[in-house]
Amino acid sequence: MDAALQILFGGLFQGSLFAMMAVGLALIWTTIGVFNFSHGVMMMLGAYVAWQLSDWSLPLFIVLPATMLIMAGVGWLLQASVVRPLIGRPNIVLVVVITTLAAASLIENGVLEVWGPRSKQLPTLIEGNTQILGVGVSMHQIAIILITPVILGALWLFLNRTRLGLALRAVAQNEDASLLVGLNVTALYGLAFAIAAALAALAGIFMGGYRFMSPVMGADPLLKALIVVVFGGLSSISGPIFAAYLIGFFEAICSYYFGLYWTPALLFAVLILMLMIKPEGLFGAKTRGLA
Amino acid sequence: MKADLRSTPGRVSWKNEAALVAAAFAVLALLPFVITDSYSRHILIMAFIYAVVASNWDLSLGYGGVFNFGHLALFGIGVYAYGLMTKLAGIDPWLALALSGAVSTIAAIVVTIPILRLKGIYIILVTFGFAQLVMQLILSQSDYTGGTQGMVRIQTLYLASHNMIRDGKFAYFYIALAILFASTVFLRLLVRSKTGASIVALRDNEEYAVSRGISLVRQRVITLAASAFFTGVAGAFYAAYQRNASVDVFGMSLATIILSMVLLGGTSTIYGAIGASFVLTIFAEIMADFGAWRPIITALLIIVVMLVYPSGLAGICTSARASWRRRQEI
Repeated sequence: MDAALQILFGGLFQGSLFAMMAVGLALIWTTIGVFNFSHGVMMMLGAYVAWQLSDWSLPLFIVLPATMLIMAGVGWLLQASVVRPLIGRPNIVLVVVITTLAAASLIENGVLEVWGPRSKQLPTLIEGNTQILGVGVSMHQIAIILITPVILGALWLFLNRTRLGLALRAVAQNEDASLLVGLNVTALYGLAFAIAAALAALAGIFMGGYRFMSPVMGADPLLKALIVVVFGGLSSISGPIFAAYLIGFFEAICSYYFGLYWTPALLFAVLILMLMIKPEGLFGAKTRGLA
Repeated sequence: MKADLRSTPGRVSWKNEAALVAAAFAVLALLPFVITDSYSRHILIMAFIYAVVASNWDLSLGYGGVFNFGHLALFGIGVYAYGLMTKLAGIDPWLALALSGAVSTIAAIVVTIPILRLKGIYIILVTFGFAQLVMQLILSQSDYTGGTQGMVRIQTLYLASHNMIRDGKFAYFYIALAILFASTVFLRLLVRSKTGASIVALRDNEEYAVSRGISLVRQRVITLAASAFFTGVAGAFYAAYQRNASVDVFGMSLATIILSMVLLGGTSTIYGAIGASFVLTIFAEIMADFGAWRPIITALLIIVVMLVYPSGLAGICTSARASWRRRQEI
């Protein structure tokens, strides 16, 4: 009972963080067809911006939206500087990998210069601990587990029920047709990056509340988000969300039974196996994506 | 020669190319007589190692069009294969150097199997995953590999009674140069051969190439395996030279630097990657005074070159040559 609860809880918690990161990656991939390797750095920068704002003793309900807004702007800038000029080049996938990697190195070292190497910690969303059926958990983690589905639900509603969201999906499905019906494709590209960066920043705030922050804190979540999108298939938003929770549970089970050390190796082995059998992802239909 | 150049762009006759390569390497071979301090020689040795890794990556990435992001893992496998073979199995260092190349080749063939059916971004993800998997395996076997501590006091290479440590890196310079020379000749022979042409054909138009009877499976295995051997040897040499090994070689920062060498140099040239390795390694040294600003400046440089000159340094050379020729004609 205890074990099952711990796994359930750990899985939900990890899954929430993975989902928050992975939807951003998937959003960018489906709309623009490039992979953003600075996504992990966006998360880190979000955490540092939030730390700076709370250091100026702003309350949490201002820090959260302000950070997301600032990071949305940063995401837009990133897109405008290292992605948009390359659109139309034949080897865009590869070139964007290197420019976003370089941008990541730039931001990472910039943060190190500005905020220094000393570890920092963000205030938790809700303070205190509680007991659920005999298992002790922090309120911060419960808040994350509860907030994430709300945010993801809102994103789903935005993508499916609003004009702007539908326009974003239209670009994802057929860029040329979107141009023909008069959608501003470049602005939508920027929007995709802005949303992705804002969500990454939120994940960064979540993470900064229970772990020490450092300029390299985004590397591991980016790696996990990569696995998640491969698992869930890159051609949809919902696939990666399911996959995120699935992998969250897989990790929780693995680290409970095999130990933390073997978990990444097992995860990658399953990933490679899965790509050999079903390369379009667990929930992916055979549409875009594979090229 | 000029007419030949213009009629078949990018193809220099093999006699001219061999003469140019021989001249370039002759100049490099004379360098230790001019540069006598061991630190400058060390920089050059590192440039040679990076040049081998980057130019071999150009084979799979540039010519093959296979987005192999596990290339640095092949280098790391070379590092650890050499370390384990000399330390645990007591194999002769020179034999271990060659065997490390073979081990990397086998690893490359293994990683090719899952990516045979995949394209583009999925290849990046699987090969990236492969690199992480190898790193996790090395970390978890800490009894043999030293785990996060790394391996120390790895056996060096030897040359009869010559003392490798007290000669100001004179001998190491020539071994590194010899590896670079062998690797470059091998790569250029391969890409100029029929096999090389079929690899490029698969990259440029897969359906047509396959319909003309080129085997995707065989050529892809050949591409990856061929790019692995000297990468593994370079890794083994790196281990012997540094005398230690750590999982840093699997990290993102080294991969970013080497990848930028390949792309800055201009893909599908081999020479571009080698040239960019020299430029970037020496550039990084010049900027040593900038301290923490060094990675920031390097990253900016990479972004600017990628935005302005997508075909890299080789592209800059080509357009410079073209404009020079235009001026000649006027």
